[in-house]
Amino acid sequence: MTKVIRIPWLAVYAIAYLVFLYLPVLLLPLFSFNDGTIVAFPLKGFTLKWYAQLGQQDTLLQAMVNSLIVGSVTALMATSLGLFAARAYVRYRFAGRELSEGLVMLPLVIPGIIVASSMLVLFISIGLKPSLTTVILGHVFVALPFSVSIMKSAFDDFDQSLEEAAFDLGESVVGTFRRVTLPIVAPGIIASLLVTFTVSFDEFVLAFFLSGNSPTLPVYIWSQIRFPAKLPNTLALGSLLLLSSVLLLLIAEYFRRRSIQSSD
Amino acid sequence: MSEQNIIEIKGVEKRFGSFVAVSDLNLTLKEGEFFSLLGPSGCGKTTALRIIAGFQDHEEGEIRINGRTMGEVPANKRPTNMVFQSYAIFPHLNVGDNVGFGLRKTKLSRNEIKERVAEALEMVELGGLQDRKANELSGGQRQRVALARALVMRPKVLLLDEPLSALDKNLREAMQLEMRRLQQKLGITFVMVTHDQYEAMTMSDRIGVMFAGQLKQVDRPEVLYSQPCNREVASFIGGMNFLDAEVTAENSESLEVNVQGFGQMTIGVNPNVQVHDKELLVGVRPEQLEISAEKPDGYDALVQGEVSDVAFYGESVHYYVRVDGLKDSIAVAVPNYFHTVDHSRGDTVWLGVQSASVIDLGKRESLGGEK
Repeated sequence: MTKVIRIPWLAVYAIAYLVFLYLPVLLLPLFSFNDGTIVAFPLKGFTLKWYAQLGQQDTLLQAMVNSLIVGSVTALMATSLGLFAARAYVRYRFAGRELSEGLVMLPLVIPGIIVASSMLVLFISIGLKPSLTTVILGHVFVALPFSVSIMKSAFDDFDQSLEEAAFDLGESVVGTFRRVTLPIVAPGIIASLLVTFTVSFDEFVLAFFLSGNSPTLPVYIWSQIRFPAKLPNTLALGSLLLLSSVLLLLIAEYFRRRSIQSSD
Repeated sequence: MSEQNIIEIKGVEKRFGSFVAVSDLNLTLKEGEFFSLLGPSGCGKTTALRIIAGFQDHEEGEIRINGRTMGEVPANKRPTNMVFQSYAIFPHLNVGDNVGFGLRKTKLSRNEIKERVAEALEMVELGGLQDRKANELSGGQRQRVALARALVMRPKVLLLDEPLSALDKNLREAMQLEMRRLQQKLGITFVMVTHDQYEAMTMSDRIGVMFAGQLKQVDRPEVLYSQPCNREVASFIGGMNFLDAEVTAENSESLEVNVQGFGQMTIGVNPNVQVHDKELLVGVRPEQLEISAEKPDGYDALVQGEVSDVAFYGESVHYYVRVDGLKDSIAVAVPNYFHTVDHSRGDTVWLGVQSASVIDLGKRESLGGEK
């Protein structure tokens, strides 16, 4: 009797897929601790100096500040717009609702380079010079689909009679929004803020086209990659960004789930 | 109940596109009355309630509450408060803050609000539960919180949208009595929307029965039961056997009729019926028929038939009796006095009826949209 060994091909495929997907990303932090300027095996030894040097580079810190400003303003604008849009999409039936929803989601599928070049042409033609403002406008555009879909899921399970009850109890329209709607969808708002911030913080193409003389962090990193000596610094910076992005998204996911639970 | 009119609705109409949700609604409610709007789902009863509350606009007609024309007055400025079907308990607030929600907009001080909230919770038997979180409440407790939250505003009219439909049967029956007791104690006008005829009958002073956007009949429960205005109303409230009849002679108070199967009898004119055709429809409640194996004495009309089905309901037994010449079998309900089921399928039985139990329902075909 021969024993047949069954190879779980699907599991093998899945593992191979994940390794292929994440291995390059994991190399980034690995080499950022390597005591050598050339990114190649074998590793030379452990060091934290690339991280330590980051704090001394003024242009980097300026780029970081730019990114934080752009990310925060983008998150606030995209989330406010997304909040109202999502409420309208979930709550009301109006002419053109589906078309408008489709248009809002469109940036997810339009190639970034097309959006970036056409925005650059548009902004210049209306006299808006490339600056952080134009980056913010571009980022709001690409972050809006994320905000709208997060806020939609927050509103989907929101019982409309909660707002009616508040109004019925004598509260004004604005007061109802403040005392009932906002607190109940608050976890969704936080999730949206975090996700849109991350989208903006990591975005490169639009920022590259629209930032002019004030680069954001990804644009700065790109400019540094041309200098081999600076590469380990860039790796260290990239690792930090990776870590913070993952953390932000985890927190966002936590709040998104809470928003779904709380509206049950 | 006083003689003061609290709600006057005149000719109110609401259309959604070409669909008429509420058509020519006329209704006057007295202060302190418990009124129910009863009807199948989609009949417009909830729309009517939402029009009174101010959540829904209406095309035509006028609503006056407490002597004031409501017109464009928004829901938050009306002397009404509502208990929602889903209860709409604010999930982010505790019980005390839920109940005190509306009082925050009044001029009451913090302490006065606290007192009013405590008093309201006491009233619905949730005394001391101010700090309980919304998601820790049972279905029955949520219902009570919703009630307290509306009553604490001391509305002129309390509107209730299917307030008990989310509760299980035992709790629902207990709450029916409790809400009725509360309403009588407070003397506030309650307007309740329900599709449950028993709920409407046990709780209400008067019931309005709605079909297809039209209010068909408004009466006390016992009048609706004994003198329904047409076939629709008769079939929606309690069980009813419908029989065709011919009018052979009539005067203002009584009709000589020949009832299919049962033969000739004299029945009273139903004052709620508008049109009496020669081709009359009459109804007999299942519990008002006598069923017996022997030919019974003392009945105005008798008919013989064969038992086609038996259904045991616990408090009563229903027999379905097939009578030659009748399209539908006749339902008979017998109270379960002695824990016996006396007849079984295939038995030949006599049915006896008193002519006073035969209800004049006017026209035979009244299932259309006409009044």
